[in-house]
Amino acid sequence: MISFVYGLIGVALFVALAPAMVSSAQRAGLSTPPAILLVLAAVIAHGLSVALGAMSVAQFQYWNAASIFGFGVMSYVFAFGAVYKSVSLEILLDVAQRPEHRAPLADIVDRLVPDIFRRRADILVDGGQVERIGASFAVTTKGRAFAGKLARIRRAFAVGDSGLYDFAEAEEQAAKSADP
Amino acid sequence: MSFLPGLVQTTAVVLSFLLPALLFGYAAIPGLRSPGRRFRASAFTVAGLLLIACLTLPGPRDFGDVFSAVFLLATAILLCHVFWSLLAWPFTLTLLTAIAKAEHPLTLEQWISACTQGEGPTAFAENRLRLLFGGGMAVSDGERIVMTQTGMAIVRLVRLVRFATGLGSSR
Repeated sequence: MISFVYGLIGVALFVALAPAMVSSAQRAGLSTPPAILLVLAAVIAHGLSVALGAMSVAQFQYWNAASIFGFGVMSYVFAFGAVYKSVSLEILLDVAQRPEHRAPLADIVDRLVPDIFRRRADILVDGGQVERIGASFAVTTKGRAFAGKLARIRRAFAVGDSGLYDFAEAEEQAAKSADP
Repeated sequence: MSFLPGLVQTTAVVLSFLLPALLFGYAAIPGLRSPGRRFRASAFTVAGLLLIACLTLPGPRDFGDVFSAVFLLATAILLCHVFWSLLAWPFTLTLLTAIAKAEHPLTLEQWISACTQGEGPTAFAENRLRLLFGGGMAVSDGERIVMTQTGMAIVRLVRLVRFATGLGSSR
């Protein structure tokens, strides 16, 4: 059972290491994606905690430690992903800043939504997948190749390749929640 | 030191590899075409199979073996959800696939329209707001969006998570 403790030690190391690496990269202006930094932090934390366990415990059970470590790290990644670039949360945070925590719908539509799209467009431009042509945008060769690969994977899993979000599914869910 | 997994742990690892196969295979079932429903069905299937394995596999059960098997499968479900979200509901990547289909350069407004299947920013905002309304985080007051107490609690939690994960507070 002591092996589980080394899994927890690994999680603690990861939780200390990952934010430090992400914020350091942001301060240094590095363009390294946070996902890469999280993977790096996980590898270091897992390696250190397993090495520590193997040296300290004669009957160290690797899979017991790995299960706790894996779950802890994935829970962290899940929370990180939810707050990193969630559109709904961006809208919520924007409304939270307004007086009396209320915002006109027209302002969200006319200002916030284009802002959200513009920031994502900048990510694609910085990644070399899209280029600016005056006031317009066009896909690059690299971007077209990547989009092609993504479309093939989506079609293989039958998740469609038609557009942003499943509007039909959202409407279906809304209808269900309105139906007592 | 032992690198050999126990019997239930091995079952959990095998079921972890079965999960993506189920996500692929369940697409053939008409009722499970929607990505969200398909993911839930796949996750419940592997969880159910692990439960059956715990009850039916021969030999005595070791608590550590079962306990860590549950965490191994939960890890796989979370990992699959991350990748499934990127595949089924990717925001930035959908922008890319939308512009890749265009035959000429697009202005931002045209790009938004292409991404929302011609619906435009209003439909997009309403689609995203529906999640906030459904979660009780905001309500509609005529032409205004009003945050609820639940919404305020979520905002505090989001700010805390952003701070704790090194993302800082963007707002």
